[in-house]
Amino acid sequence: MEPVVKFDNITKSYGSHVAVQNLNLAIERGKFVTLLGPSGCGKSTSLRMLGGFETPTSGRIMLGGKDVTRVPPNKRNVNIVFQDYALFPHMSVAKNIAFGLELKGHDRQHIHRRVSELLELVQLQDYSARLPSELSGGQRQRVALMRALAPDPEVLLLDEPLSALDAKLRQQMQIELKSIQEKTGKTFIFVTHDQEEALTMSDTIVVMNKGRIEQMGDPDTLYGKPGSVFVANFIGETNLLRSTMVGTEGDVVTLDWNGITIKADQGGLAPKVGGHLYVVLRPEAIHCSAAEPTSGNRIKGKIRQRVFKGNHTSLMIEVGGGATLNALVHPSDVGQLNGEDVWVGWKPETATVIPDRHAHN
Amino acid sequence: MRYMFADAPRATLTACYWAFLLYLLLPLTLMMAMSFKDANFIAFPIGEWTLDWYVKVMQDKQFLEACLYSIMIAAAATVSATVLGTWIAMLIVAEGIRGRVVIFALACLPAVVPGMISAISLRIFVSAIDMPTGTAAIILGHTVHAVPFVVVMALTRLRTMPGNLVDAARDLGADSVVAFFRVTLPYLGPALFGGMIFCVLLSIDDFVRTFFLGGYRPTLPMLIFAKVQGGMSPEINAMATLVLVVTAAVGLYAEFMTRRARTR
Repeated sequence: MEPVVKFDNITKSYGSHVAVQNLNLAIERGKFVTLLGPSGCGKSTSLRMLGGFETPTSGRIMLGGKDVTRVPPNKRNVNIVFQDYALFPHMSVAKNIAFGLELKGHDRQHIHRRVSELLELVQLQDYSARLPSELSGGQRQRVALMRALAPDPEVLLLDEPLSALDAKLRQQMQIELKSIQEKTGKTFIFVTHDQEEALTMSDTIVVMNKGRIEQMGDPDTLYGKPGSVFVANFIGETNLLRSTMVGTEGDVVTLDWNGITIKADQGGLAPKVGGHLYVVLRPEAIHCSAAEPTSGNRIKGKIRQRVFKGNHTSLMIEVGGGATLNALVHPSDVGQLNGEDVWVGWKPETATVIPDRHAHN
Repeated sequence: MRYMFADAPRATLTACYWAFLLYLLLPLTLMMAMSFKDANFIAFPIGEWTLDWYVKVMQDKQFLEACLYSIMIAAAATVSATVLGTWIAMLIVAEGIRGRVVIFALACLPAVVPGMISAISLRIFVSAIDMPTGTAAIILGHTVHAVPFVVVMALTRLRTMPGNLVDAARDLGADSVVAFFRVTLPYLGPALFGGMIFCVLLSIDDFVRTFFLGGYRPTLPMLIFAKVQGGMSPEINAMATLVLVVTAAVGLYAEFMTRRARTR
């Protein structure tokens, strides 16, 4: 199927600062795609280029098979949900939502029907006559979303729309956004710096860093098999074990980490003996016990810090040579870990390796 | 000793305030009081009270015509000053404009130039371009004088406007003209309303520019001036009282309206 949006070798620079560099990205119709990255990584600039508010320095942007690189925002079939909603303060909720429809020249009856249909979708039927200033943050958010959806855009762009909400409301809105996306079947392109938001809602996550795509994939892949140190650090918490390659047995590589021998899944890399690798070990993949595990990687360590977090306890464990590991322990397992001494274990297949780009392998 | 002067600054302030109020209000009160005096001379004591002077003023054709003329000029000057002032304010906040400080300074200049200087230079300008003195010249002079006030009020409001409101309008299909009339202008509404009322009051009040630019038809201040030269009479007091009450009411109403719009 033809992608609905295509960034074709897009570069955007401001003077000597390059915000987006040779971006190539195809987005499938009907997907929830998230551009994820730290501030200044080029994700918002990419979104604004797609919205028509910035012109690329070079490259082409295709929307629904047409070149829209130089088409002004009012002539493009995309709509944006802005970070602070940008609702028109002098217009009622209904008028705000109707704005785009009126400009498209729909007749009154159609507009009225569409507005009530959309208000119903977010249960705001009783608020149609209110002004934006009379709504709560979550309600404004919903109105902004409906206003952008009203003209039936080919793609809906969302520019960090949840960042102004408090934590609880944000989680609720994540679920609601996802369900609205599924109900309407629209393509959503969502920009955020919050990895949790990205993991919760997306079909595809595009991790960006310094104006380039670092890795792209579904949430499972990005979390389980990060392709770079940047991705591993950015998504979720992680232990990064810089190790030296010792040998291979089938899919499993043997590595040396600070003098400790560990095994890991080689993850499609073909590392050379003596080369450097990072082992990505998620805190929840670590199993802590008082007795020595019978199989897999196992290291004896000392508990240096315990942080109780309700549904789990986070442990900082020193494993010799000054190296530490972070582990998450289930409440039912904490009981047996009374003293300092602990056995740390994990199955080789729960850890993946990524190349150390800065070293000469 | 210390305790005696502990409240001194505050007491002094209060005293100053009351002195100021007295100084401000006493002449006005006297003027108003005299307009109800049943005699031809403006002096105490006021023996008999009457409303005759007001009846006389309301039947004074000259007065009514001057009122109408002043209002006509004020309306024309206000409309042109508002359009110009809003335009200049939009220009100053527009992206990629060079020398916005210079534009702003030039726009504000007419507000700080002394009235007499402004009047003389306008007079010279008007004759230089062969414009006859009279209505058009007065409107021009009042417009120039009022523009800075519109610019300042519109700018203050524009600076509080979220930048992406216009982006949102454009995103939803509005070209820049539609975005201006449907989003920016309504947003500016309260500020422009306040600015317009101010323009009206400035224009009605203006004497010096009108004096230099005017023709034979007198505006309200010119009529009162002419009448005063012919000798004081309680009729003038009645006229002045009417003008005072109406302008104060308009000013207060405008303040009330802008305040309400701001808190919404």
